Amino acid sequence: MPELSYREAVRDALSQAMRNDEDVFIMGEDIAEMGGSMGVTQGMLEEFGPDRVRNTPISEMAIVGSGIGAAMQGMRPVVEVMYEDFLTISMEQIVNQAAKHRYMSGGQLKVPLTIRTQGGAGWSPGAQHAQQVEAWFVGVPGLKVVFASTPSDVRGLLWSAIYDDNPVIFFEHRTLYGLKEEVPEEIEPIPIGQARVHREGEDVTVVATGRLVHEALAAAEDAEQQGVSVEVVDPRTLQPLDEDAIVASVKRTNRCVVAHEAVTRMGFGAEVAAVVQHQAFDWLDAPVERVGAKFTPLPFAPVMEDYVVPHSKDVLEAIMATVGRDGGS
Amino acid sequence: MANEVKLPRLGQGMESGTIVKWLKAEGDEVEKGEPLYELDTDKVTQEVEAEASGILLKITVAEGEADVGTTIAVIGEQGEDVSAIAGATVQRVAEVAQEEGSAGPAREPEPEIGREVSAAEQVAEARQIERGNGAGARIKASPLARRIARERGIELGSLRGTGPEGRVVAEDVERAAASSAPPTPTTATTTTPAPTGDVERIPLTSLRRTIARRLTEAWQAPAFQIAMSADMTRAQDLHARLADGIRPGSAETRPTITDILTKACAAALMRHRAVNVLWAEDAIELHPSANVGIAVAIEAGLVVPVIHQAERLSIAELAAARVDIVTRARDNKLRQEDLDGGTFTISNLGMFGVEQFVAVLNPPQAAILAVGAIESKVVPTDTGFEARPLMTLTLTCDHRSLDGATAADFLRTVKAFLEEPGLML
Repeated sequence: MPELSYREAVRDALSQAMRNDEDVFIMGEDIAEMGGSMGVTQGMLEEFGPDRVRNTPISEMAIVGSGIGAAMQGMRPVVEVMYEDFLTISMEQIVNQAAKHRYMSGGQLKVPLTIRTQGGAGWSPGAQHAQQVEAWFVGVPGLKVVFASTPSDVRGLLWSAIYDDNPVIFFEHRTLYGLKEEVPEEIEPIPIGQARVHREGEDVTVVATGRLVHEALAAAEDAEQQGVSVEVVDPRTLQPLDEDAIVASVKRTNRCVVAHEAVTRMGFGAEVAAVVQHQAFDWLDAPVERVGAKFTPLPFAPVMEDYVVPHSKDVLEAIMATVGRDGGS
Repeated sequence: MANEVKLPRLGQGMESGTIVKWLKAEGDEVEKGEPLYELDTDKVTQEVEAEASGILLKITVAEGEADVGTTIAVIGEQGEDVSAIAGATVQRVAEVAQEEGSAGPAREPEPEIGREVSAAEQVAEARQIERGNGAGARIKASPLARRIARERGIELGSLRGTGPEGRVVAEDVERAAASSAPPTPTTATTTTPAPTGDVERIPLTSLRRTIARRLTEAWQAPAFQIAMSADMTRAQDLHARLADGIRPGSAETRPTITDILTKACAAALMRHRAVNVLWAEDAIELHPSANVGIAVAIEAGLVVPVIHQAERLSIAELAAARVDIVTRARDNKLRQEDLDGGTFTISNLGMFGVEQFVAVLNPPQAAILAVGAIESKVVPTDTGFEARPLMTLTLTCDHRSLDGATAADFLRTVKAFLEEPGLML
């Protein structure tokens, strides 16, 4: 099986879809000659030409809006919003247009649009270039939301997003682009709405997304040393959510931790905690613990940024709290 | 900064462990990850690694039983003063030793007294909790603990919570459920001291205690037995052929009759899924794989390591798996996962010449097969009489999860497989 980085896996899914299907094209700021600010689309201009690898003006409203138009006309556009912080500028197009047309037209229109974007702390890009805003979109009926944490997941899920007939907001995490993993020879589409159990365990379930999947796996190793067996579940798609997988896991372990890099307040973990307490109430042996960023804009100073966002030690502490022990390191 | 070494909880339900020996002495340098001491738990003896590097400044529990979370040693920097940390534990151990009039390891007090004390303590603490929260205050308990308490009819207010902020958690309820089981009668020796020199008192190891507890529990299940004899002529032929097939000097394991038996049971369990079940109090769990436990006598008692997914293994693979777990059982090298997950058990006393016997259930498994020796018996044939090698199989079944006809059907299949091994294919 070939080994791909997360970056190469995204590029591979895009390129294969474009080879496979004339209707697929990509569009965004600096994605052509420059190959995107994260280098994801490097080399694609040479292969597919300027009609299918399109540079856009600096207007997220226009990027998403024209993507919606093309999608309604039968194309399968994949547009890139350079930083997820900039999704704010295209909010009208995403929330009031992309998410609503299929519903308001009584199914006569559909919007098979994929909006790729990336973000995350770790490089100290400051308060306006490192946020994790995925939870905002989970609250909008009509959108699907994907957040992949490994190369094989990002490849299989991006493929499914492109071929989904509904708008999909596809989040990538900046610090994961260099991460490598063996991936299947042929792209195996991963159904949207299916969680992945990264590690089985008996005492505590950690439901983690994005970078925190890897922090949770590290915390699980540490917990194991202390005799606590941890199951790590990555929902991979936040909307729709694989509630069955999460609830089944918690019913076995009786304890749950939710973990993401976004702020804890109104974070995606809050929704998971609500699902768990409702569907697995009589199986819970401890309150659901939440791990997320402190409630503050992200600082620019690296040491401060590091302090604000969660790491494996924070996940470990939460795990230990659910089993009634302090995680003292 | 000194690090306290605390007795770890190595599995759910573990409340205490017995320190067998220290692999490092006070004053030794230890590296994080290095084996530090040997710990005897309910099920296994294992080496525990140091969680910090430094000098082993103090061993506060040299040997014997300690509760989970007890500080048993301190690791720190050379010359660090650890008396404050170590003091409390040392004192506790010393007090217990004094009570018993010996400097030996701390042991539980006699059962009778122990029960009174703990009941009194529980009541006192329950009252305290009530007082603390005001009259009629809600008891802090996890939803899971509440559900289990409701199912087993246990009063939550009578329990002492060990979770954060004194919350009653599932483990507390389960512990209370286990301790409310009928007490075992005490013998006169517990009240009248035995004359010295005549009776040797062997303190229970935690393995022995687990055997006692589990078998006492098992005895309460409504069990029944059925027995059949199998003609082992063909199984013995197969055994001989398999043994002959091994090239001299090869590393392959010689299969035994036990391995053929394991194969037959695993194949039969797959055809009679209703026997491959666990009793889960509120449900019967039907398991997809035959995880066959083999009862192994070891010096310290009895353990039942499990061959997982036995139905997928060939006889040669089963032989290798058996040799592996039996060797490790005898060397005290079993891991927790070797003991977990069993769905059926085989207990073979044939090698001791036992003709037939009745095994005690291994709950929550629904059935255990007791296997006797192969004996030459005269049996009638079409033309007269013939001596045939017969083996008696006695199946003990838990009637809560298994009925007689189902059990008989299963045992008939095992017998058929042994009498004509080709049918297993």
